[in-house]
Amino acid sequence: MSAVQELFSILLNGLQLGAIFALLGIGLTIILGTMNFLNLAHGALYLIGAYAGMLTMRVVTLRTGILQDYGFTELGLGWGFLAALVIVPTIGFIVGVLMERYVAKPFYKRPHTDQLLVTFGLALVVEELVKQVIGGNTFQSTSPDTLFGLQVSGPIQLPIVGAFPRWRLIIILIAFIVIGLTWLFMEKTDWGMIVKAGTLDSEMVSLLGIRIGRSYALVFGLGAALAAFAGLIGATFETVRPQIGTQRALVPAFLVLVVGGAGSIRGAIVGGVILGTVLAGFQQTFSQWGQIAMYALVALVLVVRPQGVFGSVEVEE
Amino acid sequence: MSDNGTLLAVEDIDAYYGESHILRGLSLEVQPGEICALLGRNGAGKTTTVRSIAGASPPDVRSGTIRFRGRDVTDVPVDDRSIGGIGLVPEERRVFSNLTVAENLRMAEVSRNRSNLIGRNIGEPAETVDVDVIYEAFPRLDERRDQLAGTLSGGEQQMLAIARALRQGPDLLMLDEPYEGLAPQIVNDVEDAIGRINDEGTTILLIEQNAIAAMAISDRCYVIDQGEVVFEGPSEELEADEEIRQRYLGV
Ligand SMILES: Nc1ncnc2c1ncn2[C@@H]1O[C@H](COP(=O)(O)OP(=O)(O)O)[C@@H](O)[C@H]1O
Ligand SMILES: [Mg+2]
Repeated sequence: MSAVQELFSILLNGLQLGAIFALLGIGLTIILGTMNFLNLAHGALYLIGAYAGMLTMRVVTLRTGILQDYGFTELGLGWGFLAALVIVPTIGFIVGVLMERYVAKPFYKRPHTDQLLVTFGLALVVEELVKQVIGGNTFQSTSPDTLFGLQVSGPIQLPIVGAFPRWRLIIILIAFIVIGLTWLFMEKTDWGMIVKAGTLDSEMVSLLGIRIGRSYALVFGLGAALAAFAGLIGATFETVRPQIGTQRALVPAFLVLVVGGAGSIRGAIVGGVILGTVLAGFQQTFSQWGQIAMYALVALVLVVRPQGVFGSVEVEE
Repeated sequence: MSDNGTLLAVEDIDAYYGESHILRGLSLEVQPGEICALLGRNGAGKTTTVRSIAGASPPDVRSGTIRFRGRDVTDVPVDDRSIGGIGLVPEERRVFSNLTVAENLRMAEVSRNRSNLIGRNIGEPAETVDVDVIYEAFPRLDERRDQLAGTLSGGEQQMLAIARALRQGPDLLMLDEPYEGLAPQIVNDVEDAIGRINDEGTTILLIEQNAIAAMAISDRCYVIDQGEVVFEGPSEELEADEEIRQRYLGV
């Protein structure tokens, strides 16, 4: 592989990882910015999305867990990726709205440490529930073969890069379409305007007569839907197991938050792509350094620009 | 309207931040059409008073009654009070710096036409003021419609904060230190704007550090100290009362 080829392939892989990081980061950052709420259960939404996605797309064989104990060895709808594309974000949205109502709301005025404890507890509960009910084993990822009659599996020959998995390219496309739609929603609708204003000064929003509580539910639902969507995508190219919520989602989402700055959607997108590219770059060259490089980058950002690249305020204690 | 036509009546309220007791049995009234000034030293409780009236939290109002247009609004949430015609331009402007001027003004409008105020004891929602009327009154905002509010000068931000509140068509506009940090020339502009707003029928409750300027512009004054009213009366009376001025205002 030539250096240029390598570089472009790193960029593509970086975009793909970055898109998922950005999807996770957007939710976390708008929830923190708007409600000043730190949500460690954000990764659990990714986990829910991954399992819901897997079970919507296909039928899996259970090997352990309560359901299997009761004789359910086959689980899942087998409706394919397009159905999951509709169902999974919807589930995420509903879970997010419920979470806002029953978990987050009572903690809005409490210190961040209390919020961290309750949401971390929730994350553990969700992870454990999945483990107990569906089983603690690892499920292989599956991506669809065709979408709308077009082939989406196998390699595709790209200029410069050469052979690249077609599905990864499609993931990048879909993810950035969703990010773009989120962006449009925030920039072009009154709801988005209210949310943006709320990330800056939620009290002022209510002083203008707006029922900010409804925006809170919407923001939470939206952030959760994006995280679940990220989980669905993740399940098409990574293995699905109960620990992915924390390992594959929560940690990157927080790193994105630190790099991008609290409350900034633009920061989450750019931060996600930067982190994704750094990770992809190291994975491809010095693979064992990938995670460390990501943390090093975050440490660097914290030293040089504690408010994040696009943030205007530092995250309070 | 209540029997005697009082627009706002604050009756014997006690307000707290956590356990610290800030307002102690404070009462005040604002009559329709007047400019009423709320004076007092730093930390006297002026901001706490207007926040209590607006329904912002904290503070926590634990006893007493707040009546607006004769209705008891003590338990009405902050957003509904705003819809009902109680406007507050809080300290430090608080424009949305990440939104454009036009969007900041739009924020004052999106909440309107809310039909679900029934049972909220706030009466008819206040009628919004057309945005063109606002731009006409604040030509400098007009020129900067698409500029991010964060890029405006301090004076322009203050104008925007006032314009945004006005957009809601409040019956009562409370202004918390609107001249703070503004250059003298700009202070005159803001003062003119407040005068015009009042001429057009909006009642004003003004908090002002500069007692002399406040007495000049207002019809009536309240002086508060340590969360209690220590003077109320026509502004001329306060101007004549050297003892009160010396003791509570230092002028
Ligand atoms: N958020 C708060 N928490 C606790 N105490 C506060 C808070 N805001 C104001 N106070 C206290 O309440 C008192 C009145 O403050 P404030 O109403 O802001 O005074 P003023 O506006 O007249 O300068 C002061 O002693 C101040 O220290
Ligand atoms: Mg004050």
